[in-house]
Amino acid sequence: MAVKVVRRCELTLWEKLYVPLILGGLKITSAHFFRNLFLHSAHRLGLLKHLRASVTFQYPEESRPLAARFRSRHRLTVREDGTPRCVGCMLCETVCPAKCITIVAGEHPDPNVEKYPVRFDIDLGVCVYCGYCVEVCPEDAIRMDTGILDVSAYSRDEMKLDIHELMNPALRKPVGDCSLTFPHQCRLADGQMKGGW
Amino acid sequence: MIDLAIKLVLAVFVFFGVLNLAALHTWLERKQSAVIQDRIGANRASILGWRLMGLFHPLADSIKMFMKEDVVPAGVDRTLHLLAPFFSVFFALVGFAAIPFGDRFVIGDRVIDLQVAKIDVGLLYIFAMLSLGVYGVILAGFASRNNYALLGGLRATAQMISYEIALGIAIVGVVMIYGTMDLEELVRAQGKTLGGWIPLWGIVVQPVAFVVFLTAALAETKRVPFDLPEGESEIIGYFVEYSGMKFGMFFLADFLETIMVACLATTLFLGGWQVPYLMPDGFHFPWGATVPLAQWTYVLLGVASFSIKVVVFCWLFMQVRWTLPRFRYDQLMRLGWLGLFPISVVNVLVTASVLAFFGD
Amino acid sequence: MPILTIDGRQIDAPQGSTVIQAAERLGVFIPRYCYHPGLSIAGNCRICLVEVEKNPKLQIACNAPVTDGMVVHTKSANAEDGRRAVLEFLLANHPLDCPVCDQSGECDLQNFYMNFGLYDPRFREQKVKKKKAVAIGPHVMLDQERCILCSRCVRFTDEISKTGEFGIFNRGDRAELALYPGQRLDNPYSGNVVDICPVGALTDRDFRFKARVWYLSSAPTVCNRCAQGCNVDVHYVLDRPHLNEGARVLRLKPRYNADVNQWWMCDEGRYGFRWIDEGRLTKVRNRGVDSTWEQAVAAIAAELARLQQHKTGSRLAVIASSQLTNEELFLIREIFQGVLGAHVTASVPTPPGYEEDDFLIKADKTPNTLGATLLGLSGPGAPDATAIIDEALQGRIEALWVFGHDLATLIGEEKLQELSRTLRLLVFSGTNETSTASRSHWVLPTAAYVERDGTFVNCHGRIQRIGLAFPPVPDSREDWSLLLEIARQLDHPLAWRTPQEIFQGLAETVAPFAGLSYQTIGSQGALLGSTSIGFPPQEADRCDSQRGERERAVTGGGANGDPWGPRIKQ
Repeated sequence: MAVKVVRRCELTLWEKLYVPLILGGLKITSAHFFRNLFLHSAHRLGLLKHLRASVTFQYPEESRPLAARFRSRHRLTVREDGTPRCVGCMLCETVCPAKCITIVAGEHPDPNVEKYPVRFDIDLGVCVYCGYCVEVCPEDAIRMDTGILDVSAYSRDEMKLDIHELMNPALRKPVGDCSLTFPHQCRLADGQMKGGW
Repeated sequence: MIDLAIKLVLAVFVFFGVLNLAALHTWLERKQSAVIQDRIGANRASILGWRLMGLFHPLADSIKMFMKEDVVPAGVDRTLHLLAPFFSVFFALVGFAAIPFGDRFVIGDRVIDLQVAKIDVGLLYIFAMLSLGVYGVILAGFASRNNYALLGGLRATAQMISYEIALGIAIVGVVMIYGTMDLEELVRAQGKTLGGWIPLWGIVVQPVAFVVFLTAALAETKRVPFDLPEGESEIIGYFVEYSGMKFGMFFLADFLETIMVACLATTLFLGGWQVPYLMPDGFHFPWGATVPLAQWTYVLLGVASFSIKVVVFCWLFMQVRWTLPRFRYDQLMRLGWLGLFPISVVNVLVTASVLAFFGD
Repeated sequence: MPILTIDGRQIDAPQGSTVIQAAERLGVFIPRYCYHPGLSIAGNCRICLVEVEKNPKLQIACNAPVTDGMVVHTKSANAEDGRRAVLEFLLANHPLDCPVCDQSGECDLQNFYMNFGLYDPRFREQKVKKKKAVAIGPHVMLDQERCILCSRCVRFTDEISKTGEFGIFNRGDRAELALYPGQRLDNPYSGNVVDICPVGALTDRDFRFKARVWYLSSAPTVCNRCAQGCNVDVHYVLDRPHLNEGARVLRLKPRYNADVNQWWMCDEGRYGFRWIDEGRLTKVRNRGVDSTWEQAVAAIAAELARLQQHKTGSRLAVIASSQLTNEELFLIREIFQGVLGAHVTASVPTPPGYEEDDFLIKADKTPNTLGATLLGLSGPGAPDATAIIDEALQGRIEALWVFGHDLATLIGEEKLQELSRTLRLLVFSGTNETSTASRSHWVLPTAAYVERDGTFVNCHGRIQRIGLAFPPVPDSREDWSLLLEIARQLDHPLAWRTPQEIFQGLAETVAPFAGLSYQTIGSQGALLGSTSIGFPPQEADRCDSQRGERERAVTGGGANGDPWGPRIKQ
């Protein structure tokens, strides 16, 4: 590698005086200050709302607009009859680099559907949000478009989503009631099968 | 007796005014930096859902400071360790006694000076107090029994002493022009006008001294861009071993000194409580128009003028703080000794020459 | 013999053989659906199209007899175009079931589409609907939509199982595979149609939805359900315990061995693996209380040493098992018969299973009876298990060690209870919970046959290695390592450390095994030499060895390369 000599820039006399450049800097900061102060004041009066005075999003009250391709918490899409669209092909479980998906498949009474997940868990404490599961799904059964970002829990166990929360993103822990009608392994029933066709 | 009561009232007034301004300063610091940087700034502290643009944050801060555990490291000199923050705050506070914040107020035959202590060498007194503030710093560094704190204290002391010289010499020009060290007289002297149009403020007759004074004052109070002694989160400073309210007192002293410098700058260079063209009996505009005013209106206008000027200086210091990056220590020293000090000396010489040749 | 050229390489093929067989010998793979080396040639799937020079049309390799001077191109543009067109027709009505289809991952439609197809689909019409998920027998599920009508299963039931349940009905795109009216696919070899079905039309009901095939690891072993010793692959999953309720073994698949089972195996063996994961013994127990291996081995060895010192070896008996490997039986013979002078037998009547036929199923339901006989633990020279038990009940035996057998099926619960009371020491070492285990004084959990290495000798005198698929369940030990430990405790340490070393000792000691080693046994087994009891080495009855040679190249069952060597986890 050739060595390239970069000469340090010598300050000019004007720059060495400091004061003019300091004034230049103050001009910039003051321009921001007075513009934003004016806009903040105008907003207080209900004016000029279309001009933002700050780039801040007041997070819990005001959520930042998410990009269309943003990957948030997973959900399982459902058929019209409320059963999961998932057919338990386990491709997501296979492709998952974090091995956070657990699927147990069962026999669906409709031979045209044939297979469905009796159990479908995602351990969000392990998930890396890569979105491969969504990419690989042949049935468009799993999506990461809930917009839920604030996943938090007091224990690792609570980070595990089961089929109830995945099918209904509005549900939050602890899931109090199982409203699913098809047979599935339900944590509310201590991992026993619940529901029926 | 009544005189004493009046002085007490004045002292309490100044004391509260200054302390509240210092508290407000923390709010100003947060909000102003936010507005400069297109942010919103701290606004979450609330009482009963009222947020008042974050005005409760200073309150929350002080509560936090008081509630925090006061950690005293093992092996420190307990007395000095305890004394240092009080020194800092005390010397920062007492200087305000000599600041005249309004013209004299006449009720009947009683003349009330709007100044806690009328000292005829007020300027010297204030400088003495500012200089003593360095003890808080050096004691904090020394008493902490921490090498880094000691180094930080030495660094801060060196800086403060160096800039004090430029600061003092810059003032000499002003004193020479107005011929007094009594701050009230100094302000009164600035009430004249140059050719009837331009107020004869310090900034007009001593612009170089003004710039030197401002710069040196920023360094003296350890504000950005000269904040190496503190450096808050980046550099270990002299108060590294302080926590809780003792740390808070250093913080407070810092803001008090800033206000002190703002007051001083106002008094020396912006005519103190003077309002342009306002005489004790009303406005006398250069084009001949006059607006007569009652005496109390005149005094209140003076106080308002003084307050506004102080706040503007505070705003300016803050604006500088959020504009400029920090100096390196060698740059800081070079600027002090090779920049400001010669300039101020030359300023004094030029002023003296002008005064000697042209007289009054 | 005709000499032909395939893809520029010459081969000398036997008269009457076909191009696909010749290509196979060259290592050139030609795709096929209907062609199966074990079945007659149908030639109806047309996927094996090859270009033969001086022939205007593409020929199907499976039914084109080799002729002298023939020049065949399997990878020419013409052949590939033809193949692609055939694939497009086959897939026209094939449903997009791959996500729910158990064949997915080992499906020849998927494989050949990825290898030879990759066309843009042009079929815009409605696919023909047929019946899906029909249980046509106890083990097999039929999906008519997925069927590509290759007729392998039809030919299997006609030619191999000779039961003829399957037929193809209707014509054109309505043609469908079904059973003849009133039939059920319940012959003892029904599982094989799942293996030979190239697509997901016939799937295993037992394996249904339990896992995806790409989760499976595979290990070669030998079926332990009868004396035939069919070669099998055990398919198991260790890293996804949520599947199949934690059971490791998911299915068995026949492994090609020309001389034993060719491509086939019976349903009894195929589905008889559940005991490997269900009801296993996981704790050393002393009279119902959990104990440790150290305590057990010390206590048992002390008792054995006591009997030895009193020169009352005859008061000790061992009921071994022909489910044990030759190596373990050899250790039992050396330690118990040789050192301790005990009564040892491996001749234990077993409950009957599938009826013997002239194909694969044998009446003897243990895999190593001949091995035990050769070691003298079974057959004419050995005592019978019932005789030993009778002696024990009469008090002439103080200590009895039972390997794996449930004596309750032999003598009933009451006598077992009496036996337990009479004996000073009753040791049970085995894999599963039985009434014998619950009545024994010491229970020692041992490894199942897929969890340990060793050899079996089948009824035709072929010694075959069972390999080691995966480690034993926690806290259980291989019988051979337990026996070596006992020998050490008896101050009679044996120098061997692995089954392979034990087998070396066995080969040096017992004449019929002379000259054999794990290397010479390989993956396909080896016939024992003339045996001391004059057992005639029997040729496998229904296979021609030439075809076997041919097929070896296809299945890749390596005569070279140790299939039990270090495996890379899938």
